[in-house]
Amino acid sequence: MTALRADRLDYDDPLELVEDYHRRGWTDGLPIVPPTPAAVERFLDAAGLAPGDVLGTVPTREVVVTAEHAAINAVMAGCLPDYMPVVAAAVRAHLHEKGNCHSTTGTLSGASQLVIINGPVRNDIGVACTAGCFGPGFRANATIGRALRLVIRNVCRSVPGFLDRATFSTPARYSFCFGEDEEGSPWLPLHVERGLPPGSSAVTVHSVMYMVSSPDYVSRTAEGVLDSLARTLRRQGTAGDKWLGDGTNVVVVMGPEHRRYLVDAGWSKADARAYLWPLLTAPQQPGEGRVKLGHPEGLLLVAAGGPGMAETWVMFPHLAWAITEPVTERMERRP
Amino acid sequence: MAERITGLDPTSGPLPEPSGRVAARPASLDGAVVGLVANGLGEAEAFLDALYDELTNVHGIAGAIAVLKPSVSVPPEPDDWQRLTEGATVAITGFGG
Repeated sequence: MTALRADRLDYDDPLELVEDYHRRGWTDGLPIVPPTPAAVERFLDAAGLAPGDVLGTVPTREVVVTAEHAAINAVMAGCLPDYMPVVAAAVRAHLHEKGNCHSTTGTLSGASQLVIINGPVRNDIGVACTAGCFGPGFRANATIGRALRLVIRNVCRSVPGFLDRATFSTPARYSFCFGEDEEGSPWLPLHVERGLPPGSSAVTVHSVMYMVSSPDYVSRTAEGVLDSLARTLRRQGTAGDKWLGDGTNVVVVMGPEHRRYLVDAGWSKADARAYLWPLLTAPQQPGEGRVKLGHPEGLLLVAAGGPGMAETWVMFPHLAWAITEPVTERMERRP
Repeated sequence: MAERITGLDPTSGPLPEPSGRVAARPASLDGAVVGLVANGLGEAEAFLDALYDELTNVHGIAGAIAVLKPSVSVPPEPDDWQRLTEGATVAITGFGG
């Protein structure tokens, strides 16, 4: 392996290192794991990456993000070495031109970066996909999402007050990562719908302006559940940009209490989109926002969550599809 | 004695110090051509138009160069930059909704 290039700092003990990283502004406010050279090399080895491999760039900031940068921040986030291929894929996805790092991490709106994991890697590293999967308690979810955010902060320079200009920001910027419940659903997984082969592993990164729950405890049919979802989408509308067109991408995460009515009726994700499309594009009524989806595939349906609450979550996007889209990146190596 | 520990710098380099200087302010707007750069959010154009009207009531403004960015998230088009830098004495813009 070629040599690590990052500057080295020596300390008398790990706690001194942690406190100094806080003082230097290199954390999200939570403690970090010391990124020792040996740990960083283990992470790079786990992903088959060389330190200088370029994962992406932020041209407006003259920033080049290398595998070494990602590995250092993944160690700091508390990842295990086996998570590194996922972290690298998430960084690549976010730094894709359509991931629009500069805008989505500098924005006044404080958009968060949602990482959705698909494929066998979920089970290999223990990604939570069912009950509680949006929240704390799952190391892979917590640290992979945090690793991406630390890269955004430390390497891409989205530091609050500097290039992060969020008015309020959001707790989802600490970490926001979960997996699709592929075992709990007969549907095509998100990454396969987006063109990757079954059996592959991938991450999809979507910048989320805000998210709302669409509860419906009454409906007992696929149509009823989707009618409720359409009402939620129409009530909220989607943020848009009149110069860039009407195409946005909305991630809809449907829990099992809603999913089962669609599955029992034999509906696929495509069937759900076909039913929703005319409901979402019908003329706007007073009090409603416009749902600016350019095409039915702009609605990304994901199976996740646990039993109990009959709800579906809607992740509204940051800006329009002409400059920002969810990006799916195939993982090049499994642990 | 505890063993020393080495950590790696996780950044892409130090954050730059603010550079450049604030441009000199004109002593008066009399005779000035005012650039109005709207970002397209909310009522930005209407606000800038109203602000321009107020300025013309107070100062002897010579004219305006109105620029509408193609999107909130991109800079003005090169032609618009050229119109501003070549023709405007001062420019007004803003951000947010």
